[in-house]
Amino acid sequence: METVLEVRGARHDYGATRALDGVDLDVGAGECVALLGPNGAGKTTLVNLVVGLLPAKEGRIRVCGGDPRVAATRRRLGVVQQSLGFPTTLKVGELVTGAAVRAGVPRSAAGPVLAELDLTDLAGRRAVKLSGGQRQRLQLAMALVADPRLLVLDEPTAGLDLTARRRFWQLLAQRRERGTGVLLTTHLVEESSAVADRVVVLGRGRVLASGTPDELVARLPDRTVIARTALGRTRLEALPGVVSVRADGEHVHLGTRAPEALLRVLLAEDPGLADLRVESAGLAEAVAGLVERGAA
Amino acid sequence: MNAKVFGVELADELRGIVREPAALFFSIVMPVAFFALFVSLFGKLGSGGLSAGTTMLTTFGAFGVISVVLMNPGIGVAADRERGWLRAKQVSAVPIGVTLSAKVVASLPYAAGVLVAMTATAAITGALDAPVPALLRILGVLLLGALPFALLSLAIGFQVGTGAAAAVLNAVLIPSAVLSGLWMPLEIMPAFFADVARFLPTYHLARLALAQLTGAPALAHALVLLGTTIVAAALAAVSYRHARS
Ligand SMILES: Nc1ncnc2c1ncn2[C@@H]1O[C@H](COP(=O)(O)OP(=O)(O)OP(=O)(O)O)[C@@H](O)[C@H]1O
Ligand SMILES: [Mg+2]
Repeated sequence: METVLEVRGARHDYGATRALDGVDLDVGAGECVALLGPNGAGKTTLVNLVVGLLPAKEGRIRVCGGDPRVAATRRRLGVVQQSLGFPTTLKVGELVTGAAVRAGVPRSAAGPVLAELDLTDLAGRRAVKLSGGQRQRLQLAMALVADPRLLVLDEPTAGLDLTARRRFWQLLAQRRERGTGVLLTTHLVEESSAVADRVVVLGRGRVLASGTPDELVARLPDRTVIARTALGRTRLEALPGVVSVRADGEHVHLGTRAPEALLRVLLAEDPGLADLRVESAGLAEAVAGLVERGAA
Repeated sequence: MNAKVFGVELADELRGIVREPAALFFSIVMPVAFFALFVSLFGKLGSGGLSAGTTMLTTFGAFGVISVVLMNPGIGVAADRERGWLRAKQVSAVPIGVTLSAKVVASLPYAAGVLVAMTATAAITGALDAPVPALLRILGVLLLGALPFALLSLAIGFQVGTGAAAAVLNAVLIPSAVLSGLWMPLEIMPAFFADVARFLPTYHLARLALAQLTGAPALAHALVLLGTTIVAAALAAVSYRHARS
Protein backbone atom coordinates (compact mmCIF):
# COMPACT_ATOMS: atom_id res chain seq x y z
CA MET A 1 0.00 0.00 0.00
CA GLU A 2 1.27 3.44 -0.94
CA THR A 3 2.04 5.64 2.07
CA VAL A 4 0.49 9.11 1.94
CA LEU A 5 1.66 10.23 5.38
CA GLU A 6 4.86 9.26 7.11
CA VAL A 7 5.80 10.63 10.53
CA ARG A 8 9.09 9.52 12.07
CA GLY A 9 10.39 10.55 15.47
CA ALA A 10 8.41 13.78 15.48
CA ARG A 11 9.24 16.02 18.41
CA HIS A 12 7.92 19.45 19.22
CA ASP A 13 8.42 21.77 22.18
CA TYR A 14 6.56 24.94 23.06
CA GLY A 15 9.23 26.65 25.12
CA ALA A 16 9.82 24.27 28.02
CA THR A 17 6.67 22.20 27.31
CA ARG A 18 7.35 19.02 25.38
CA ALA A 19 4.18 18.55 23.35
CA LEU A 20 5.36 15.68 21.12
CA ASP A 21 8.07 13.26 22.12
CA GLY A 22 9.15 11.01 19.27
CA VAL A 23 5.94 10.10 17.47
CA ASP A 24 5.81 7.61 14.60
CA LEU A 25 2.72 7.36 12.43
CA ASP A 26 1.81 6.18 8.94
CA VAL A 27 -1.31 6.60 6.88
CA GLY A 28 -1.67 4.53 3.73
CA ALA A 29 -3.68 5.36 0.63
CA GLY A 30 -7.36 4.80 1.36
CA GLU A 31 -6.68 4.20 5.02
CA CYS A 32 -8.42 6.02 7.89
CA VAL A 33 -6.40 6.56 11.06
CA ALA A 34 -8.03 8.06 14.16
CA LEU A 35 -5.93 9.97 16.65
CA LEU A 36 -7.25 9.64 20.18
CA GLY A 37 -6.06 10.93 23.52
CA PRO A 38 -7.02 13.18 26.38
CA ASN A 39 -6.81 16.99 26.35
CA GLY A 40 -3.24 18.14 25.99
CA ALA A 41 -2.03 14.79 24.60
CA GLY A 42 -0.49 16.49 21.56
CA LYS A 43 -3.10 15.69 18.89
CA THR A 44 -3.46 19.23 17.56
CA THR A 45 0.29 19.73 17.68
CA LEU A 46 0.78 16.60 15.56
CA VAL A 47 -1.91 17.75 13.12
CA ASN A 48 -0.25 21.15 12.86
CA LEU A 49 3.08 19.49 12.02
CA VAL A 50 1.42 17.32 9.40
CA VAL A 51 -0.28 20.24 7.63
CA GLY A 52 2.88 22.35 7.72
CA LEU A 53 1.73 24.98 10.22
CA LEU A 54 4.52 24.12 12.68
CA PRO A 55 8.09 22.99 12.03
CA ALA A 56 9.15 19.69 13.61
CA LYS A 57 11.95 20.40 16.07
CA GLU A 58 13.17 16.90 15.36
CA GLY A 59 12.07 14.07 13.14
CA ARG A 60 10.63 13.75 9.69
CA ILE A 61 7.20 14.48 8.27
CA ARG A 62 6.38 13.47 4.70
CA VAL A 63 3.10 13.97 2.86
CA CYS A 64 3.19 11.93 -0.35
CA GLY A 65 6.96 11.99 -0.01
CA GLY A 66 7.16 15.79 0.28
CA ASP A 67 7.78 18.22 3.11
CA PRO A 68 4.45 19.83 4.12
CA ARG A 69 6.29 23.05 4.98
CA VAL A 70 6.75 23.44 1.21
CA ALA A 71 3.67 25.00 -0.37
CA ALA A 72 3.65 22.72 -3.43
CA THR A 73 3.42 19.59 -1.23
CA ARG A 74 0.22 20.92 0.29
CA ARG A 75 -1.55 20.59 -3.05
CA ARG A 76 -1.96 16.93 -2.08
CA LEU A 77 -3.46 17.89 1.25
CA GLY A 78 -7.04 18.66 2.28
CA VAL A 79 -7.53 20.11 5.74
CA VAL A 80 -10.61 20.60 7.90
CA GLN A 81 -9.76 22.79 10.85
CA GLN A 82 -11.53 22.68 14.14
CA SER A 83 -12.52 26.33 14.38
CA LEU A 84 -12.26 28.07 11.05
CA GLY A 85 -13.86 31.48 10.59
CA PHE A 86 -14.65 32.54 7.04
CA PRO A 87 -14.21 36.07 5.72
CA THR A 88 -17.48 37.94 6.17
CA THR A 89 -17.64 38.97 2.53
CA LEU A 90 -17.16 35.73 0.58
CA LYS A 91 -19.85 33.40 -0.73
CA VAL A 92 -19.93 29.61 -0.58
CA GLY A 93 -19.41 29.13 -4.32
CA GLU A 94 -16.53 31.61 -4.41
CA LEU A 95 -14.80 29.86 -1.54
CA VAL A 96 -14.95 26.44 -3.18
CA THR A 97 -13.88 27.82 -6.57
CA GLY A 98 -11.05 29.67 -4.85
CA ALA A 99 -9.96 26.48 -3.12
CA ALA A 100 -9.89 24.71 -6.50
CA VAL A 101 -7.70 27.34 -8.13
CA ARG A 102 -5.40 27.56 -5.11
CA ALA A 103 -4.82 23.83 -5.31
CA GLY A 104 -4.13 24.00 -9.03
CA VAL A 105 -7.28 22.35 -10.44
CA PRO A 106 -9.82 23.95 -12.83
CA ARG A 107 -12.63 26.12 -11.45
CA SER A 108 -15.10 23.66 -12.93
CA ALA A 109 -14.16 21.16 -10.20
CA ALA A 110 -16.22 23.22 -7.76
CA GLY A 111 -19.65 22.33 -9.22
CA PRO A 112 -19.60 18.57 -8.60
CA VAL A 113 -18.18 18.94 -5.07
CA LEU A 114 -20.84 21.51 -4.16
CA ALA A 115 -23.44 19.03 -5.37
CA GLU A 116 -21.78 16.12 -3.54
CA LEU A 117 -22.04 18.06 -0.26
CA ASP A 118 -25.57 19.40 -0.88
CA LEU A 119 -24.27 22.94 -1.08
CA THR A 120 -25.42 23.84 -4.60
CA ASP A 121 -28.45 25.78 -3.36
CA LEU A 122 -26.29 27.66 -0.89
CA ALA A 123 -23.57 28.60 -3.39
CA GLY A 124 -24.70 32.23 -3.50
CA ARG A 125 -24.90 32.65 0.25
CA ARG A 126 -22.19 34.25 2.36
CA ALA A 127 -20.28 31.62 4.32
CA VAL A 128 -20.74 33.45 7.62
CA LYS A 129 -24.51 33.09 7.22
CA LEU A 130 -24.35 29.28 7.24
CA SER A 131 -25.28 27.06 10.17
CA GLY A 132 -22.50 25.22 12.00
CA GLY A 133 -23.13 21.96 10.16
CA GLN A 134 -23.30 23.71 6.79
CA ARG A 135 -19.99 25.42 7.50
CA GLN A 136 -18.44 22.08 8.30
CA ARG A 137 -19.68 20.79 4.93
CA LEU A 138 -18.27 23.86 3.23
CA GLN A 139 -14.87 23.22 4.78
CA LEU A 140 -15.03 19.64 3.61
CA ALA A 141 -15.99 20.78 0.10
CA MET A 142 -12.98 23.10 0.07
CA ALA A 143 -10.76 20.29 1.29
CA LEU A 144 -12.08 17.76 -1.24
CA VAL A 145 -12.29 19.94 -4.36
CA ALA A 146 -8.75 19.15 -5.51
CA ASP A 147 -9.11 15.42 -4.76
CA PRO A 148 -6.38 15.33 -2.09
CA ARG A 149 -4.28 12.24 -1.38
CA LEU A 150 -4.40 12.97 2.35
CA LEU A 151 -7.26 14.47 4.33
CA VAL A 152 -6.49 15.83 7.78
CA LEU A 153 -9.58 16.43 9.89
CA ASP A 154 -9.49 18.01 13.34
CA GLU A 155 -12.66 16.92 15.18
CA PRO A 156 -14.64 17.00 11.93
CA THR A 157 -17.99 15.79 13.24
CA ALA A 158 -18.16 18.01 16.32
CA GLY A 159 -21.46 19.88 16.12
CA LEU A 160 -23.01 17.67 13.42
CA ASP A 161 -26.36 16.00 13.97
CA LEU A 162 -26.74 12.26 13.53
CA THR A 163 -27.88 12.42 9.89
CA ALA A 164 -25.13 14.84 8.92
CA ARG A 165 -22.62 12.66 10.71
CA ARG A 166 -23.66 9.55 8.77
CA ARG A 167 -23.61 11.44 5.51
CA PHE A 168 -20.15 12.71 6.40
CA TRP A 169 -18.75 9.21 6.95
CA GLN A 170 -20.41 7.98 3.76
CA LEU A 171 -18.70 10.71 1.76
CA LEU A 172 -15.41 9.92 3.37
CA ALA A 173 -15.82 6.23 2.59
CA GLN A 174 -16.34 7.07 -1.10
CA ARG A 175 -13.17 9.13 -1.15
CA ARG A 176 -11.25 6.43 0.63
CA GLU A 177 -12.25 3.95 -2.03
CA ARG A 178 -10.59 6.28 -4.51
CA GLY A 179 -7.39 6.14 -2.47
CA THR A 180 -7.57 9.19 -0.22
CA GLY A 181 -5.93 8.59 3.16
CA VAL A 182 -7.53 10.13 6.24
CA LEU A 183 -6.03 11.28 9.53
CA LEU A 184 -8.59 12.52 12.01
CA THR A 185 -8.63 13.54 15.64
CA THR A 186 -11.68 12.92 17.73
CA HIS A 187 -12.93 12.57 21.26
CA LEU A 188 -15.72 10.26 20.11
CA VAL A 189 -14.01 6.98 20.79
CA GLU A 190 -16.89 4.76 19.72
CA GLU A 191 -17.31 6.65 16.47
CA SER A 192 -13.66 6.25 15.64
CA SER A 193 -13.85 2.52 16.26
CA ALA A 194 -16.67 2.34 13.75
CA VAL A 195 -14.99 4.29 10.95
CA ALA A 196 -11.23 4.01 11.45
CA ASP A 197 -9.02 1.22 10.16
CA ARG A 198 -6.50 2.02 12.83
CA VAL A 199 -6.55 3.92 16.09
CA VAL A 200 -3.50 5.68 17.49
CA VAL A 201 -3.68 6.66 21.15
CA LEU A 202 -1.53 9.63 22.17
CA GLY A 203 -0.74 10.58 25.74
CA ARG A 204 1.75 13.21 26.87
CA GLY A 205 3.20 13.48 23.41
CA ARG A 206 3.88 9.76 22.97
CA VAL A 207 2.12 6.98 21.12
CA LEU A 208 0.68 4.79 23.87
CA ALA A 209 -0.83 2.22 21.56
CA SER A 210 -1.82 1.74 17.98
CA GLY A 211 -3.70 -0.93 16.09
CA THR A 212 -7.09 -1.78 14.70
CA PRO A 213 -9.96 -0.96 17.06
CA ASP A 214 -10.45 -4.72 17.60
CA GLU A 215 -6.79 -5.28 18.39
CA LEU A 216 -6.82 -2.51 20.95
CA VAL A 217 -9.88 -3.88 22.65
CA ALA A 218 -8.42 -7.40 22.63
CA ARG A 219 -5.17 -6.29 24.20
CA LEU A 220 -7.06 -4.38 26.81
CA PRO A 221 -9.56 -5.14 29.51
CA ASP A 222 -12.90 -6.32 28.16
CA ARG A 223 -14.78 -5.89 31.44
CA THR A 224 -14.93 -3.01 33.83
CA VAL A 225 -15.63 -3.65 37.49
CA ILE A 226 -17.08 -0.54 39.08
CA ALA A 227 -17.47 -0.21 42.84
CA ARG A 228 -17.05 1.95 45.92
CA THR A 229 -14.15 0.61 47.93
CA ALA A 230 -11.93 1.54 50.86
CA LEU A 231 -8.90 -0.06 49.21
CA GLY A 232 -6.11 2.25 48.10
CA ARG A 233 -4.84 2.57 44.55
CA THR A 234 -1.63 0.60 45.12
CA ARG A 235 -3.55 -2.29 46.61
CA LEU A 236 -6.08 -2.24 43.77
CA GLU A 237 -3.37 -2.30 41.13
CA ALA A 238 -1.87 -5.37 42.78
CA LEU A 239 -5.13 -7.36 42.67
CA PRO A 240 -5.11 -10.35 40.31
CA GLY A 241 -6.17 -9.58 36.76
CA VAL A 242 -6.35 -5.80 37.15
CA VAL A 243 -5.14 -4.06 33.99
CA SER A 244 -6.18 -0.51 34.74
CA VAL A 245 -7.40 1.54 37.67
CA ARG A 246 -9.37 4.71 37.17
CA ALA A 247 -10.92 6.87 39.85
CA ASP A 248 -14.30 8.38 39.02
CA GLY A 249 -15.71 10.37 41.93
CA GLU A 250 -16.42 7.94 44.77
CA HIS A 251 -16.11 4.96 42.47
CA VAL A 252 -13.17 3.15 40.96
CA HIS A 253 -13.19 1.56 37.53
CA LEU A 254 -11.06 -1.57 37.35
CA GLY A 255 -10.29 -2.86 33.89
CA THR A 256 -9.81 -6.61 33.66
CA ARG A 257 -10.05 -9.64 31.43
CA ALA A 258 -10.93 -11.95 34.34
CA PRO A 259 -13.78 -10.33 36.23
CA GLU A 260 -14.81 -13.46 38.18
CA ALA A 261 -11.41 -14.01 39.80
CA LEU A 262 -11.07 -10.31 40.53
CA LEU A 263 -14.48 -10.12 42.16
CA ARG A 264 -13.71 -13.03 44.50
CA VAL A 265 -10.57 -11.34 45.81
CA LEU A 266 -12.15 -7.90 45.93
CA LEU A 267 -15.09 -9.08 48.01
CA ALA A 268 -12.78 -10.96 50.36
CA GLU A 269 -10.44 -8.02 50.89
CA ASP A 270 -13.03 -5.25 51.31
CA PRO A 271 -16.09 -6.20 53.32
CA GLY A 272 -17.45 -2.65 52.88
CA LEU A 273 -17.53 -2.94 49.08
CA ALA A 274 -20.63 -1.17 47.71
CA ASP A 275 -22.40 -0.20 44.47
CA LEU A 276 -20.82 -3.09 42.62
CA ARG A 277 -21.32 -3.24 38.84
CA VAL A 278 -19.65 -5.13 36.03
CA GLU A 279 -19.81 -3.68 32.53
CA SER A 280 -18.35 -4.69 29.24
CA ALA A 281 -15.52 -2.33 28.34
CA GLY A 282 -15.69 -0.60 25.02
CA LEU A 283 -12.89 1.18 23.25
CA ALA A 284 -13.51 4.22 25.42
CA GLU A 285 -12.61 2.26 28.53
CA ALA A 286 -9.65 0.72 26.75
CA VAL A 287 -8.31 4.12 25.82
CA ALA A 288 -8.89 5.52 29.30
CA GLY A 289 -7.02 2.54 30.76
CA LEU A 290 -4.13 3.08 28.37
CA VAL A 291 -3.86 6.75 29.15
CA GLU A 292 -3.94 6.09 32.90
CA ARG A 293 -1.10 3.64 32.56
CA GLY A 294 0.80 5.99 30.26
CA ALA A 295 0.53 8.74 32.83
CA ALA A 296 1.61 6.56 35.74
CA MET B 1 -0.35 28.61 -11.95
CA ASN B 2 0.77 31.45 -9.69
CA ALA B 3 -0.79 34.17 -11.86
CA LYS B 4 -4.17 32.43 -11.64
CA VAL B 5 -3.82 32.01 -7.90
CA PHE B 6 -2.84 35.65 -7.52
CA GLY B 7 -5.96 36.53 -9.53
CA VAL B 8 -8.17 34.57 -7.14
CA GLU B 9 -6.51 36.06 -4.08
CA LEU B 10 -6.86 39.55 -5.53
CA ALA B 11 -10.51 38.97 -6.47
CA ASP B 12 -11.24 37.81 -2.89
CA GLU B 13 -9.62 40.92 -1.48
CA LEU B 14 -11.40 43.28 -3.87
CA ARG B 15 -14.73 41.62 -3.12
CA GLY B 16 -14.02 42.14 0.54
CA ILE B 17 -13.43 45.82 0.00
CA VAL B 18 -16.36 46.33 -2.38
CA ARG B 19 -18.88 44.37 -0.29
CA GLU B 20 -17.92 45.94 3.00
CA PRO B 21 -16.85 49.41 2.02
CA ALA B 22 -17.40 51.17 5.36
CA ALA B 23 -13.77 51.02 6.50
CA LEU B 24 -12.44 52.06 3.16
CA PHE B 25 -15.03 54.78 2.80
CA PHE B 26 -13.45 56.62 5.69
CA SER B 27 -9.90 56.13 4.50
CA ILE B 28 -10.92 57.58 1.10
CA VAL B 29 -13.48 60.19 2.04
CA MET B 30 -11.60 61.68 4.96
CA PRO B 31 -8.44 62.70 3.06
CA VAL B 32 -10.41 63.83 0.00
CA ALA B 33 -12.76 65.96 2.12
CA PHE B 34 -9.80 67.43 3.95
CA PHE B 35 -8.14 68.21 0.66
CA ALA B 36 -11.31 69.81 -0.71
CA LEU B 37 -11.53 72.06 2.33
CA PHE B 38 -7.92 73.22 2.18
CA VAL B 39 -7.84 73.60 -1.57
CA SER B 40 -10.99 75.71 -1.62
CA LEU B 41 -9.51 77.98 1.07
CA PHE B 42 -5.90 78.28 -0.05
CA GLY B 43 -5.71 76.52 -3.41
CA LYS B 44 -5.17 79.58 -5.55
CA LEU B 45 -2.41 81.12 -3.45
CA GLY B 46 0.92 80.85 -5.21
CA SER B 47 4.21 79.55 -3.87
CA GLY B 48 7.37 79.21 -5.93
CA GLY B 49 5.61 79.39 -9.28
CA LEU B 50 3.14 76.64 -8.40
CA SER B 51 -0.39 77.16 -7.14
CA ALA B 52 -0.86 75.94 -3.59
CA GLY B 53 -3.59 73.63 -4.88
CA THR B 54 -1.09 71.82 -7.07
CA THR B 55 1.48 71.54 -4.28
CA MET B 56 -1.18 70.24 -1.94
CA LEU B 57 -1.85 67.46 -4.40
CA THR B 58 1.53 66.04 -3.43
CA THR B 59 1.17 66.45 0.35
CA PHE B 60 -2.51 65.52 0.71
CA GLY B 61 -2.04 62.95 -2.05
CA ALA B 62 0.75 61.33 -0.02
CA PHE B 63 -1.48 61.41 3.04
CA GLY B 64 -4.43 59.87 1.19
CA VAL B 65 -2.39 57.06 -0.34
CA ILE B 66 -0.61 56.30 2.92
CA SER B 67 -3.83 56.21 4.88
CA VAL B 68 -5.34 53.68 2.44
CA VAL B 69 -2.36 51.33 2.29
CA LEU B 70 -1.51 51.70 5.95
CA MET B 71 -4.99 50.85 7.21
CA ASN B 72 -6.22 48.15 4.85
CA PRO B 73 -3.69 45.32 4.59
CA GLY B 74 -2.91 45.45 8.31
CA ILE B 75 -6.47 45.47 9.57
CA GLY B 76 -7.32 42.78 7.00
CA VAL B 77 -4.51 40.50 8.12
CA ALA B 78 -5.35 41.05 11.79
CA ALA B 79 -8.98 40.11 11.12
CA ASP B 80 -7.99 37.03 9.09
CA ARG B 81 -5.68 35.96 11.86
CA GLU B 82 -8.33 36.38 14.55
CA ARG B 83 -10.97 34.39 12.75
CA GLY B 84 -8.52 31.63 11.81
CA TRP B 85 -8.77 32.32 8.09
CA LEU B 86 -5.06 33.01 7.88
CA ARG B 87 -4.41 29.43 8.99
CA ALA B 88 -6.60 28.20 6.15
CA LYS B 89 -4.35 30.15 3.77
CA GLN B 90 -1.24 28.81 5.46
CA VAL B 91 -2.26 25.19 4.98
CA SER B 92 -3.28 25.79 1.36
CA ALA B 93 -0.85 25.28 -1.49
CA VAL B 94 -0.48 29.04 -1.96
CA PRO B 95 2.80 30.54 -0.77
CA ILE B 96 1.93 33.12 1.90
CA GLY B 97 3.77 35.83 -0.07
CA VAL B 98 1.18 35.57 -2.85
CA THR B 99 -1.67 36.04 -0.35
CA LEU B 100 -0.01 39.04 1.26
CA SER B 101 0.92 40.67 -2.05
CA ALA B 102 -2.72 40.39 -3.10
CA LYS B 103 -3.72 42.22 0.07
CA VAL B 104 -1.32 45.03 -0.74
CA VAL B 105 -2.16 45.25 -4.44
CA ALA B 106 -5.91 45.22 -3.70
CA SER B 107 -5.59 48.50 -1.83
CA LEU B 108 -3.83 50.24 -4.74
CA PRO B 109 -6.95 50.90 -6.88
CA TYR B 110 -8.42 52.71 -3.91
CA ALA B 111 -5.26 54.68 -3.37
CA ALA B 112 -5.41 55.64 -7.04
CA GLY B 113 -9.07 56.57 -6.56
CA VAL B 114 -8.10 58.96 -3.78
CA LEU B 115 -5.55 60.64 -6.04
CA VAL B 116 -7.97 60.93 -8.97
CA ALA B 117 -10.65 62.41 -6.70
CA MET B 118 -8.16 64.94 -5.34
CA THR B 119 -6.95 65.88 -8.81
CA ALA B 120 -10.54 66.36 -9.96
CA THR B 121 -11.27 68.50 -6.90
CA ALA B 122 -8.25 70.69 -7.59
CA ALA B 123 -9.24 71.02 -11.25
CA ILE B 124 -12.86 71.88 -10.47
CA THR B 125 -11.85 74.59 -8.03
CA GLY B 126 -9.48 75.99 -10.63
CA ALA B 127 -6.43 75.42 -8.45
CA LEU B 128 -4.69 72.91 -10.70
CA ASP B 129 -1.84 74.03 -12.92
CA ALA B 130 0.31 71.04 -13.75
CA PRO B 131 0.79 69.20 -17.05
CA VAL B 132 -0.74 65.74 -17.36
CA PRO B 133 2.61 63.90 -17.57
CA ALA B 134 3.65 65.45 -14.24
CA LEU B 135 0.34 64.39 -12.70
CA LEU B 136 0.84 60.85 -13.95
CA ARG B 137 4.36 60.81 -12.51
CA ILE B 138 2.97 61.92 -9.15
CA LEU B 139 0.43 59.11 -9.31
CA GLY B 140 3.14 56.57 -10.13
CA VAL B 141 5.54 57.82 -7.46
CA LEU B 142 2.90 57.85 -4.74
CA LEU B 143 1.59 54.38 -5.55
CA LEU B 144 5.09 52.85 -5.74
CA GLY B 145 6.20 54.75 -2.67
CA ALA B 146 3.24 53.33 -0.78
CA LEU B 147 4.96 49.92 -0.55
CA PRO B 148 6.90 50.47 2.69
CA PHE B 149 3.73 51.68 4.38
CA ALA B 150 1.80 48.63 3.23
CA LEU B 151 4.57 46.39 4.63
CA LEU B 152 4.55 48.27 7.92
CA SER B 153 0.80 47.77 7.98
CA LEU B 154 1.24 44.00 7.59
CA ALA B 155 3.89 43.96 10.31
CA ILE B 156 1.48 45.57 12.76
CA GLY B 157 -1.43 43.40 11.59
CA PHE B 158 0.54 40.26 12.46
CA GLN B 159 1.24 41.52 15.96
CA VAL B 160 -2.06 42.80 17.32
CA GLY B 161 -5.81 42.21 17.09
CA THR B 162 -8.22 43.98 14.74
CA GLY B 163 -9.31 46.70 17.15
CA ALA B 164 -5.79 47.40 18.34
CA ALA B 165 -4.47 47.37 14.76
CA ALA B 166 -6.79 50.21 13.77
CA ALA B 167 -5.76 52.22 16.82
CA VAL B 168 -2.03 51.56 16.42
CA LEU B 169 -2.08 52.32 12.71
CA ASN B 170 -3.91 55.60 13.29
CA ALA B 171 -1.44 56.45 16.04
CA VAL B 172 1.34 55.99 13.49
CA LEU B 173 -0.46 57.75 10.65
CA ILE B 174 -1.79 60.96 12.14
CA PRO B 175 1.35 62.23 13.93
CA SER B 176 3.60 61.35 10.98
CA ALA B 177 1.24 63.20 8.66
CA VAL B 178 1.25 66.33 10.82
CA LEU B 179 4.99 66.26 11.47
CA SER B 180 5.78 65.72 7.79
CA GLY B 181 3.73 68.71 6.70
CA LEU B 182 1.17 66.61 4.86
CA TRP B 183 -1.69 68.72 6.24
CA MET B 184 -0.14 72.10 6.95
CA PRO B 185 2.92 73.10 4.91
CA LEU B 186 6.16 72.80 6.90
CA GLU B 187 7.00 76.37 5.84
CA ILE B 188 4.36 77.78 8.18
CA MET B 189 5.11 75.37 11.04
CA PRO B 190 7.71 75.79 13.81
CA ALA B 191 11.23 74.87 12.65
CA PHE B 192 11.21 71.88 14.97
CA PHE B 193 8.73 70.14 12.65
CA ALA B 194 11.08 70.32 9.69
CA ASP B 195 13.91 68.87 11.82
CA VAL B 196 11.81 65.87 12.77
CA ALA B 197 10.26 65.49 9.33
CA ARG B 198 13.60 64.61 7.74
CA PHE B 199 13.53 61.34 9.67
CA LEU B 200 10.05 60.35 8.53
CA PRO B 201 9.38 58.32 5.37
CA THR B 202 6.04 60.12 5.04
CA TYR B 203 7.93 63.38 4.48
CA HIS B 204 10.20 61.85 1.87
CA LEU B 205 7.27 60.40 -0.06
CA ALA B 206 5.61 63.83 -0.27
CA ARG B 207 8.91 65.44 -1.33
CA LEU B 208 9.47 62.80 -3.96
CA ALA B 209 6.03 63.58 -5.37
CA LEU B 210 6.70 67.32 -5.22
CA ALA B 211 9.95 66.83 -7.10
CA GLN B 212 7.87 65.60 -10.06
CA LEU B 213 6.50 69.15 -10.30
CA THR B 214 9.54 71.21 -9.39
CA GLY B 215 12.29 69.07 -10.87
CA ALA B 216 14.10 69.22 -7.52
CA PRO B 217 16.65 66.45 -6.83
CA ALA B 218 14.76 63.30 -5.87
CA LEU B 219 17.43 60.64 -5.37
CA ALA B 220 17.86 61.12 -1.62
CA HIS B 221 14.10 60.82 -1.05
CA ALA B 222 13.92 57.69 -3.19
CA LEU B 223 16.82 56.11 -1.30
CA VAL B 224 15.23 56.81 2.08
CA LEU B 225 12.03 55.16 0.86
CA LEU B 226 13.97 52.19 -0.47
CA GLY B 227 15.69 51.79 2.89
CA THR B 228 12.36 52.06 4.66
CA THR B 229 10.96 49.36 2.38
CA ILE B 230 13.78 46.98 3.31
CA VAL B 231 13.34 47.64 7.02
CA ALA B 232 9.55 47.33 6.80
CA ALA B 233 9.85 44.07 4.83
CA ALA B 234 12.15 42.66 7.51
CA LEU B 235 9.74 43.78 10.22
CA ALA B 236 6.83 42.17 8.37
CA ALA B 237 8.77 38.90 8.00
CA VAL B 238 9.76 38.80 11.69
CA SER B 239 6.22 39.69 12.64
CA TYR B 240 4.83 36.90 10.45
CA ARG B 241 7.15 34.35 12.09
CA HIS B 242 5.98 35.54 15.47
CA ALA B 243 2.34 35.11 14.43
CA ARG B 244 3.01 31.70 12.95
CA SER B 245 4.64 29.96 15.90
N1 LIG C 1 0.83 27.49 21.41
C1 LIG C 1 1.21 26.80 22.51
N2 LIG C 1 2.10 27.31 23.37
C2 LIG C 1 2.48 26.63 24.45
N3 LIG C 1 2.07 25.39 24.76
C3 LIG C 1 1.19 24.81 23.93
C4 LIG C 1 0.70 25.49 22.77
N4 LIG C 1 -0.17 24.67 22.15
C5 LIG C 1 -0.23 23.55 22.88
N5 LIG C 1 0.58 23.62 23.96
C6 LIG C 1 0.79 22.55 24.96
O1 LIG C 1 1.24 21.39 24.28
C7 LIG C 1 0.59 20.23 24.78
C8 LIG C 1 -0.17 19.52 23.67
O2 LIG C 1 -1.24 20.35 23.25
P1 LIG C 1 -2.23 19.98 22.03
O3 LIG C 1 -3.02 21.19 21.74
O4 LIG C 1 -1.43 19.40 20.93
O5 LIG C 1 -3.14 18.85 22.72
P2 LIG C 1 -4.45 18.13 22.13
O6 LIG C 1 -4.17 16.67 22.21
O7 LIG C 1 -4.83 18.69 20.84
O8 LIG C 1 -5.53 18.50 23.24
P3 LIG C 1 -7.14 18.77 23.07
O9 LIG C 1 -7.79 17.42 23.10
O10 LIG C 1 -7.44 19.54 24.32
O11 LIG C 1 -7.36 19.54 21.84
C9 LIG C 1 -0.27 20.72 25.94
O12 LIG C 1 0.45 20.54 27.11
C10 LIG C 1 -0.50 22.18 25.64
O13 LIG C 1 -0.67 22.89 26.85
MG1 LIG D 1 -6.56 19.80 20.10
